[in-house]
Amino acid sequence: MSNVQLLIVDDEERFLKTTKALMEKRGISTKTAASGVEALRILDETNVDVVILDVKMPGMDGEVTLKRIKQTYPLIEVIMLTGHGSVDSAVVGLKMGAFDYVLKPCDIPEILEKVENAYVKKQAMENKIRKVQVDRMISHPMAVFDKNGKD
Amino acid sequence: MNDTGSENIGAEKFSRIRRIILTRVLLAPFIILMIVCSTLVYYFATNLFDRVASELTRVADDHRYLIEQFFSERTEDLQFIAGSNSFQSLRRQERLSEIFHVLQSTSPAFLDLGVFDKEGNHVAYEGPYRLEGKNYSQAEWFKAVCEKSIYISDVFMGFRNTPHFIIAVKKIEDGVSWYLRATIDTQFFNNLVENIRVGKTGEAYLINKDGVFQTRKRSGGLLMEVDPNFKGYQSAPHRIMSFTGRDHQGGRCLCATGRLKSTGWFMVVRQDYFDAASPLIRAVMVAIGLVFIGGAGVVLIAFFLASGLANRLTLADAEKREMGSQLIMAGKLAEVGEMSAGMAHEINNPLQVMISEITMINDLFEDCRAGDPMDTETLGLMSESVDQIGLQIKRCSNITQGLLKFARKTEPVVRSIVPHEMIGEIVAMVEHQAHLEDITIRQEVDPGLPEIESDPAQLQQVFLNLLNNAIYAVKDKDDGEIRITSDVDDEFILLAIADNGCGIDPDQLKRIFVPFFTSKPVGKGTGLGLSTCYGIVEGLGGNITVTSELNVGSVFKVHLPRAVSLKK
Repeated sequence: MSNVQLLIVDDEERFLKTTKALMEKRGISTKTAASGVEALRILDETNVDVVILDVKMPGMDGEVTLKRIKQTYPLIEVIMLTGHGSVDSAVVGLKMGAFDYVLKPCDIPEILEKVENAYVKKQAMENKIRKVQVDRMISHPMAVFDKNGKD
Repeated sequence: MNDTGSENIGAEKFSRIRRIILTRVLLAPFIILMIVCSTLVYYFATNLFDRVASELTRVADDHRYLIEQFFSERTEDLQFIAGSNSFQSLRRQERLSEIFHVLQSTSPAFLDLGVFDKEGNHVAYEGPYRLEGKNYSQAEWFKAVCEKSIYISDVFMGFRNTPHFIIAVKKIEDGVSWYLRATIDTQFFNNLVENIRVGKTGEAYLINKDGVFQTRKRSGGLLMEVDPNFKGYQSAPHRIMSFTGRDHQGGRCLCATGRLKSTGWFMVVRQDYFDAASPLIRAVMVAIGLVFIGGAGVVLIAFFLASGLANRLTLADAEKREMGSQLIMAGKLAEVGEMSAGMAHEINNPLQVMISEITMINDLFEDCRAGDPMDTETLGLMSESVDQIGLQIKRCSNITQGLLKFARKTEPVVRSIVPHEMIGEIVAMVEHQAHLEDITIRQEVDPGLPEIESDPAQLQQVFLNLLNNAIYAVKDKDDGEIRITSDVDDEFILLAIADNGCGIDPDQLKRIFVPFFTSKPVGKGTGLGLSTCYGIVEGLGGNITVTSELNVGSVFKVHLPRAVSLKK
């Protein structure tokens, strides 16, 4: 659990600060970004497993940011943070590959749970990929070079 | 509070509408009536005068014929006597008086009879005067009859000093000429002409070629006087002339004149213009009477119609106003519906922060319970969280208050408003949303703008609406910008909201203030926003205009009176 790398993206600074503190307390190493652009920069620089993404943000809004994240980092799981009035945007997010959504306002434990689920899913996915790769390596050892060359 | 005022305005409006209807309803028929009447009178008059003229012509013609007839009969009488008797036999008094009596029995017009020799000596006479022996060789009639053999004289005084005229004929017997002369009773002759009557003033008389009366003129004109109107008469040798003349006293008259062939006299038939026109005058009086009676009827009916119509219009107007205020309310409700979704979202953010803070405080308590020391750092964190919660609550209450302020049913309440501050408050309500959409709102309202007297709540609705529209217009732009500027003159202040957004299609621009017209996708807009704004601003005595260019932007200009006179 403790090795989850979480990124929270929201334009509400106080929310970022407090939530980061709460998450770290619960053993989740957390980074924060105040905008979509900043989030993409952090993703570029560091290793992140799960992103909590506010839908309504100035500048690059949630949907666009989600699209970018999913394009560049398909394995990173994204949890959408939406208000009651904009459940539609949650649906759009899910269709675009978000893992789940959280309705504002929400409890920290609820967020925590979803983050864990997301992390579990991501790990499972990564394991699966690794397994496939290992299997392939075992059956075609020579292919490793091709593959690596291609990547 | 405006009840009496609005009643007064209503009554004023009512009478104004009624006046407009009345003038229009009355003017058209009145003009038509006048045209019809004057046309009829014109044709009637033309016809009447034609008829009078032809009547006069007919009378003149008939009497000319009659008189000609009279002259030729009398002349024939004399010629017959001259032909059937010798000069010698007529010289005898007994023979002459015998013949004269026969003559008088055929025509009482003969007054006397005389016989003249070739030198003009009066050789025999039968009649009331004693004229024998006088010599007439120098008399005008004698000279004329020598030449023409038949002569009819004008009326003259002669030796007997009484107006008379004579008929003379010439006879040649064995190469020697002698003459027979008869005097015509002017009284008898007068009666032939004088008794003609046409209308009340129509009369007939004879004048000779120099304009001297040969018969009396009933309306004033004695025998042998000169007719003062003679110069105005027109004549043609063989036919009757009819014309409108002016007599010497300036009165107008209708005349017919004809010339007598035998004497060169004029037969004049004359009628006063006003007498001839009397049927016309009666007709005009009747027409005027009818116009007045009919006009009074029309006025009465029109008055009732106009009152009814104006009443209905006023009612309809009141209904329309009622509808207008209902529409404002409906627009407001729709706006509230639209906004409440957004507001809920706005509130969710602070709630989310609060939940985080509470979790944080709970965590800190747990830690303390678990044995951690309640040190300054922990306390600091806690108070920070509590402060933050307070801050977020304030934020929520601001939002809800804004909403309440907006949704409250507002009677027009006039207060002093500082435009600069009002715009500031309203901008604050949409600033967050604008910020989300990356839109800059520039407030360039002059802080020195004078205070205005108006309804703050309604103005807030107007400007919120305009700002929301502006945000909607620029939200897809990268450099969206909304400028709020101001201006002022003696009566009005101007607040203009300009955006650099998508602009409005010219076709749509025309209908932009029409209720339920919207360019937004189905379900996104009610089409009530701008129509409501329009209603409110008009109601506050101002006006709202828009200019727009596609893809360049729109400017909404709101003119507000510096002091509102609440018009209902």
